[in-house]
Amino acid sequence: MTAAAGTVQGSAPGRTGGTVARVVRRNAWTFGLAALLLVLFLVTRAIKPTYGAAELRSLAIGALPIAFAAVGQAIVVISGGIDLSIGSLLALTNVTAAALMAGGSEESAVPVVLFVLFLGLFLGAVNGLLVVASRVPDIIVTLALSFVWAGAALLVLKSPGGGTAQWLKGLIDGTIGSEWIPEALVLLVVSVALVWLPLRRSRLGLSMYAVGSDRLAAFRSGVAVAPTKVAAYAVTGLFAAMGGLSLSMSTGIGTPVPGPYTLLSVAAIVLGGVSLVGGRGGLLGPILAVFVLALIRADLTFLNVDPNFTTVVQGVIMVVVVMVGAFATLRRRTA
Amino acid sequence: MSNTLQGNGWREEMICSAKAEALASGQVSRMVIAHRNTDAAGQLSDIRDLIAAGVDAIIVNPVSPDAVTPALAEAVEAGITVVAVDMGVNEPNAYLMSNDQEEYGYLGAKWLFEQMGGQGNVVYQRGIAGAQADTDRHAGFQRALAENPGIEVVAEQATNWDPATAVQQINEFLASGQQVDGVWTSGVDSPIVSAFKTAGREYVPIVGADNSEFVNQLVNEEGLVGAAVTNPAAVGGAGVQLALRVLNGEPPSEKQVLLTPEVWDNQTPEGRQKLEAAVDPSIDPLWPLNITIPDWTTYTKEQLLACKGPGE
Repeated sequence: MTAAAGTVQGSAPGRTGGTVARVVRRNAWTFGLAALLLVLFLVTRAIKPTYGAAELRSLAIGALPIAFAAVGQAIVVISGGIDLSIGSLLALTNVTAAALMAGGSEESAVPVVLFVLFLGLFLGAVNGLLVVASRVPDIIVTLALSFVWAGAALLVLKSPGGGTAQWLKGLIDGTIGSEWIPEALVLLVVSVALVWLPLRRSRLGLSMYAVGSDRLAAFRSGVAVAPTKVAAYAVTGLFAAMGGLSLSMSTGIGTPVPGPYTLLSVAAIVLGGVSLVGGRGGLLGPILAVFVLALIRADLTFLNVDPNFTTVVQGVIMVVVVMVGAFATLRRRTA
Repeated sequence: MSNTLQGNGWREEMICSAKAEALASGQVSRMVIAHRNTDAAGQLSDIRDLIAAGVDAIIVNPVSPDAVTPALAEAVEAGITVVAVDMGVNEPNAYLMSNDQEEYGYLGAKWLFEQMGGQGNVVYQRGIAGAQADTDRHAGFQRALAENPGIEVVAEQATNWDPATAVQQINEFLASGQQVDGVWTSGVDSPIVSAFKTAGREYVPIVGADNSEFVNQLVNEEGLVGAAVTNPAAVGGAGVQLALRVLNGEPPSEKQVLLTPEVWDNQTPEGRQKLEAAVDPSIDPLWPLNITIPDWTTYTKEQLLACKGPGE
C-alpha cells in the first residue's frame, strides 16, 4: 500500500513551469484530497445544515496540533527518515512552555515562545544526530528517544498544569477578516509557509528530497547526506514545538503525558500522499488529510455512530482512500 | 456526552447509565456521544463538535478541570446546560454530579492504615495525573496519611485508570523485592488482587471500589482483607437527570451535587453483609455494583445492561 502510494507524483521541487494541466497532474493526490475535503464539507452540511463558520473555527483549533505534527513528520519522512518521538516532543515543548509561562507577565511570554521553538529545533537535531551517528535505523532511535522526551516532560511537570499567556490563547480563538477564515488556520498556513517555502527551494530542501529518494545517488552527486538528515530532523523538531505551543494555546496548560500525535501524524502523511520510503510528497497533502480525518470524526459523531466503532470506521475509510488513490494513479501511469 | 477514556469498566458503565437514563426519562430524543481515548485538546474539539451537533445539554467527564473550560464556556454561551460528572471543572456555570472524591480517598486510606496497625509500607496507585478526581482523592489520602505518621508510601504510581498499566506497575513493584503491607488503589482493584495471586504472594490489605469482581473477591477469596469504597458510575445517568431538571426549570438548590461514599469492608459483620448483598455475577467484572443512585436515576438494571439510548 505504501509503496503504491509512493508512485503518486508529488509536488517535487525544482520542476517549475508548465501548463495548468501539468500542475494538476503532478499534484493529483493533493487535488484529490482537496476535492474529498470539499465533498466532506458538503456531506457535513447535508447532515448538519447549521454547520458553518463557527464550526469551521472549532475544526481548525482542534486540527492545529495534529497538523503541526503531520507537517513535521512529512518533512522527516520526505528526507528518508521517520520520527516516532514527535508526540513526546509535542508534550515536552508544551509543558516547557506552560511551566515557563506560569505566573509570568504577558511580555515575558515572547522570549518563552522563542526559547521553546529553539528547544524544538535543538531536540530535533539531537534526534537527527543520534540517527546519523549511531547508524541504527531511524525508527528504532526515535522510538527510544520518544521515551526519553516523554520522561523529560514528566520531569518538567509531573501533572498537567502551568499557564499560558493570554495573547497566545487569543492567537487562535477568533477569525480574521471574514468569519470563514479561522485564526488557527491562518496561524498554521503562515507558520508552515514561513519555514517551508524558503526551505523547499533552497539547496537544503532539494538535498532532503534527494537523500529521501535515493541516499546513495544523493551521496554520489555530492549531497552532504548526514547534515541534511540532521537538518530535516531539526526542522521536524521545530514543527513539533509549534504543535506543543498550539496545545498551550488551546488548553491553556501543559500536559506531560503525550497525546495521540505520533500515530495521527503518520496516518495524516500516508493519507496526504507522502511516500513512507521517502523522496516524494509535499506538505499541503498532509495538512488536508488532517482536516479530512477530523471532519470524518465529527461526521461520525453527528451521525451517532457507536463511539467504540468510530475508530474502526476511521481506519477503514483511510485504507480505502489510500487504496483507491493508489489504484487510480497506477492506472493513469500504465495507461 | 463527552468522555476521554475507553476500555475502562467504570467509564463504560457511566456511558450505559447515561444512555439508560436518557431512555427511561422519556424526555430525550437523541443522545450524541463523543467517546474515545484522547487528551485535553481532543476533548476540547469533541465538546465543540457536540455544540455543533446542536445539543441542549452536555454531560462531560473532564480530562482536566482547566483545559476544557474554553469549550465549556462556549457551550454555556450557546445556551447549553453543562453538567460535569465524576469530577469538577472550573467553569462557574457548570453543574456537578459526582462522588465526594476527597472523602473517597480519605475513607479508604483511613480504613487501610487502621488495618495495617498504623505502621508499614503502602503502595499508592493513583489515577490520571491532573484529573480533578485524582487531585481530590490525593488530598483525602494525604489527610489520612498525616493522621498516620507510621505509614510510608513506598511507591506512588499513576495507573491512568488502565488495568493493564496498573498490573504492570504492581508486578514491577513485587519483583523489586520491597516490603509491602498494604495497597491503595484508585479503583483498578481486582486486577491487583489477581496479580498478588499470580505472583504467589501473600495478600496484604487492599482498598478498591465497589467493582463487581473486586467485591466478589472480598467475599470469596480466602485470606483477602480489603474494603470497597463506593463510587457509582451511575453519576452518568444522574448527570442526565440533573441536566433534564435544569432544562425543565427545576435546577437543584446547589450547583454541586456530591454523593457520600460508603466503606464496605470484609472484616466487620456490617461490611460483609453489604458486600454479600452486592455481589452480582451478571455485572461485568470491572463495573461498579452501585448501578443506581436513589432520587437521581430511574432506569432498571435491564435497561442499564442493555446499554441502549433513545432511538437505538
